[in-house]
Amino acid sequence: MRGPALAGGLTLAATAYVALVDPYRPGHYLTCPLLAATGLYCAACGGLRAVHDLARLDVVGAWDMNPLLVVALPLLLLGWARWLVRSWAGARRRSTGSDLRSSLLAWAVLAVVVSFGVLRNVPALAPWLAP
Amino acid sequence: MPYGSQPPAYGSQPQPQPQPGDYYGQPAYGYPKNSLGVWSLVLGIVGIVLSCGFFAGIPAIITGHLARKAVAQGQANNGGMATAGIVLGWIATIGMVLLIIALVALVATGTWSDWEYVMDNADVRG
Repeated sequence: MRGPALAGGLTLAATAYVALVDPYRPGHYLTCPLLAATGLYCAACGGLRAVHDLARLDVVGAWDMNPLLVVALPLLLLGWARWLVRSWAGARRRSTGSDLRSSLLAWAVLAVVVSFGVLRNVPALAPWLAP
Repeated sequence: MPYGSQPPAYGSQPQPQPQPGDYYGQPAYGYPKNSLGVWSLVLGIVGIVLSCGFFAGIPAIITGHLARKAVAQGQANNGGMATAGIVLGWIATIGMVLLIIALVALVATGTWSDWEYVMDNADVRG
């Protein structure tokens, strides 16, 4: 119970901060070192702006900044809810296939994050994927 | 027990021996906690790939240590993967801290203004 509550509380606090301190205006946050040095967008680029927009219920604005984040957040929320319910109900035994599923999920996350990071730097796709 | 009717392992005696061709993705009987090492490695790589590395780097270190514990208890056999995840996690975390220090130093010493052409050409906001 303590784990999910702690994670949820920290995330809420961080979200509130990003909602109140505008990442669209320069000087509020540190510039991304990769972007400053190379001009490349990493997979997380636009993430703060997307969180800022989402916290203000501007899904379109958030999508323009980081579509992957907008897609991933509901899934993360579901995973967190599952974690909360499970730790509330007490430690439950893991099903036989869950370890393999978890490994496959990890590799899928890696593939999605890396390809998103590459694709949003392709000029032809930039209008849809770049911040 | 997550698998069958096997009795709990006593002490440090390993669980069933690795089968030929066994690796991270093989069926979960035998090593039910191999996904920890995979997550550690994946989070470590993601921490390096994203330039804001510690969000993934710190979880990579944590899952890596859990994975090594599972290896010691005979519940996983991918200790190398876990070690790689821990190392990458530390590189991502320390690299991020160093980059922040360097950026703050650049701004504080005024060197940053030399980089302003970058800020004019690219959209350098969080």
